Amino acid sequence: MTRTRERRRSRLVRLATTATAGAALLAACTTTTGGDDTGGADDGEVTVAGTYPIESLDPHGAQGASTGTQLAAQEIFSRLVKPDADGTLKGDLATSWKPNKDVTAWTFTLRDGVTFSDGSALDADDVVASFQRMTGLNGPNAGNFPGDTMTRTSATEVVLHSPAPDASVPGKLGTFYVLPTGVGKDDTAFFNHPVGSGPFTVAAFTPSESLALVPNSKYRGTRPAPRRVTIRDIPELAARLTALRTGEVDVVWGIPDDQLAALKGQKDLTVRTVPSSAEFTMWFNSSVSALKDAEVRRAIWQAVDFGTIIRELYPETGRPADAPVTGVVLGHVAQQPVTYDPKAAKAALTAAGFDFTRKLRLQFANAEFRPFVQAVVSDLQKVGVRVDPLEKEQAAFTEDLLALKWDINFQQLATPSYDAASNLGRLYTCAAERMGYCNRRLDGVLAAAGATADKKRRTDLYGQASRIIWQDAVGMYPMSVSIAYAWNSHLTGFVPDASGLPDFATVRTGGS
Amino acid sequence: MTRMIVHRLLVGLFVMWGAASLIFLIVRAAPGDPATVLLGPDADHAQIVRLRASLGLDRPLGAQYLSYLGDVCRLDFGESHRLGRPAMDAVLDRLPATVDLTLTATVTAVIVGLTLGMLAGGRPGGLLDRVVSACTIALQSFPTFWTGIMLVLVFALNLRLLPSSGVGTPQHLVLPAVTLAFPFIAIIARLTRTSLVETMSEEYVRTARSKGLTERQVLLGHALRNSLIPVVTVVGVQVGALVGGAVIVENVFAWPGLGSLVVEAVANRDYTVVQGATLLIAGIVVVLNLMADLLVAQLDPRIRTGAV
Repeated sequence: MTRTRERRRSRLVRLATTATAGAALLAACTTTTGGDDTGGADDGEVTVAGTYPIESLDPHGAQGASTGTQLAAQEIFSRLVKPDADGTLKGDLATSWKPNKDVTAWTFTLRDGVTFSDGSALDADDVVASFQRMTGLNGPNAGNFPGDTMTRTSATEVVLHSPAPDASVPGKLGTFYVLPTGVGKDDTAFFNHPVGSGPFTVAAFTPSESLALVPNSKYRGTRPAPRRVTIRDIPELAARLTALRTGEVDVVWGIPDDQLAALKGQKDLTVRTVPSSAEFTMWFNSSVSALKDAEVRRAIWQAVDFGTIIRELYPETGRPADAPVTGVVLGHVAQQPVTYDPKAAKAALTAAGFDFTRKLRLQFANAEFRPFVQAVVSDLQKVGVRVDPLEKEQAAFTEDLLALKWDINFQQLATPSYDAASNLGRLYTCAAERMGYCNRRLDGVLAAAGATADKKRRTDLYGQASRIIWQDAVGMYPMSVSIAYAWNSHLTGFVPDASGLPDFATVRTGGS
Repeated sequence: MTRMIVHRLLVGLFVMWGAASLIFLIVRAAPGDPATVLLGPDADHAQIVRLRASLGLDRPLGAQYLSYLGDVCRLDFGESHRLGRPAMDAVLDRLPATVDLTLTATVTAVIVGLTLGMLAGGRPGGLLDRVVSACTIALQSFPTFWTGIMLVLVFALNLRLLPSSGVGTPQHLVLPAVTLAFPFIAIIARLTRTSLVETMSEEYVRTARSKGLTERQVLLGHALRNSLIPVVTVVGVQVGALVGGAVIVENVFAWPGLGSLVVEAVANRDYTVVQGATLLIAGIVVVLNLMADLLVAQLDPRIRTGAV
């Protein structure tokens, strides 16, 4: 009996020892500041969680157009011109730019005395070499400049020649970054420690994990306020928001509506939404017999109560669109709203001889849009239009999109250049063959808009183009998208960006 | 023993060839084209054709397969055009994070699982056995993503004891490793318990008891060794599964391991990375299984001598 008791006591002692050791280990592992180990302090360090991973720092390569690479590139490298937080174009390396008479050549005058972070001078040769590198690598950004060439006219002047008039060149150059001459195709050594002329240099980079930036001491402008900026990749939204709440990160963006109320209720967070260039766009495939008739397309648009859907699903980040491009894009001209009228829609469809037995294929690529698409399908069902929502993987979606293997295509379409030329001018021509729609009159208007550098004239022409697109219901244009940002209130100087690419050079923590 | 090793190695090579061939075919059978994904929907047809040619995708499938096998034999896994670097470099960059996570989860699972299994199996039907059985069923039933999120809510958000995500310090490893270990603990505990109960009813155990050995001597000196044979085999298989299957945990905790790399590569049709990562994972599984077989042979002389 005594032996059994002793054994039990011995077991209890061992158990207690193990538990104590475990607790000590856990305590040793714990963060001593209550989880607030990176943000929240007045240490001049800013940690943010981007919406997409940064897989490469090469702005000319295959990842050049990705949001992650763009976010990093704008802090490390300079551009000729860049959009402001509200989309207004301003000079970066260029102090001025002007087109020739027929808008086939743009001359950029470069800022004097710019140096790279290694102290070497940046001149026109670097700009030309970078342009050649970008077009030569055949990455996604090269597609913006088909047949374009760049030449140096002096150490501080370059000219970009286009094979056809192109007024949108400055806007498109918002994704063109200048690297030093001589960077190779897959120059791993360079991109491990890139040399740029942007506000920051790279302190450490692990692809798809984190990018740490420190101020570039050779930067020509105001020295960046933070001592260090870390951009972390946190793929799961829930994990990003948790990290924001615990203070592990200071800024998060791309937050869906259903999460905003909870964040707004938190005292130490600031929440804002900013109108972006992105718009929910639902093209009709005008080449299929059921959707050839503009009356049919208009009736389908009229049959969906987009106002209610937006109010219910996107009360904070959505508002009804009034043109094929959003209000922040050059060329936006508001159109007559399409009123929801299911009875009129049904009558118009019947009058047009619409085949109600045919099932339309509505393709989309991202699960986050599923509720929206389902709501649209449900409204169309009410007027007898049968729609099959097809959620596809991005790769399959893109392939089918280009092959026109759909009847209605849903996309959140952004205009990163803030110029209607790279949306309307590029996608809606007969030659583009993007949605089976061809209208020679529209082609003429778009060509004229692309051939003049006069902003007022361009806006007028894109307004005319928008009217044709809108009235012919080339697609349905239900919603303009705003981007929701949330940041810790101890940060000052943070400006939410309309394209989802915020600049952190002006951000100050409490005491920095 | 040598014969066994040679045999297992040959089987391993066959498995590797099978994995290499299967993954080559599967990624190409999936809808979606790497060039289209890389260039995005804005690219024109000529651009796509040029990129397909530079990626070698315009060649007949048979020719692609033969050159791929030749490259693999030379340990050349090709370039990832998407990442702008050799595919295997990208894979090997992610391997340490996966090894850290898997190893910590495995060690935790083995220690806790074996202990729980022994405690339960030592007195079958007792209170401890019932408690352990209930706990292990619960651990195995909880979906990993749910467990992960609950742990984050409790330990990161409410208690502020541990970071919610990311890498860099040992404390970053605690929550993902524990999440990954939970179902594994349950498997090991249940297997150890069952195996131990069976072994304890063997004749040689009764003989040991009749010789006057204490329960502890019987358990540790005789029963445990034999009970471990199925456990070791299962651990070998499970660790292999963990290496490639930790993707949910990696996503929840922003852990940059192999699993999430493969998922990104599949979504982007990055053939070279998918192939390289799959072959590496297959290689790890083959090696781990071989090690498990050798360990089992060490534990059971009948296997060593070829008696069974």
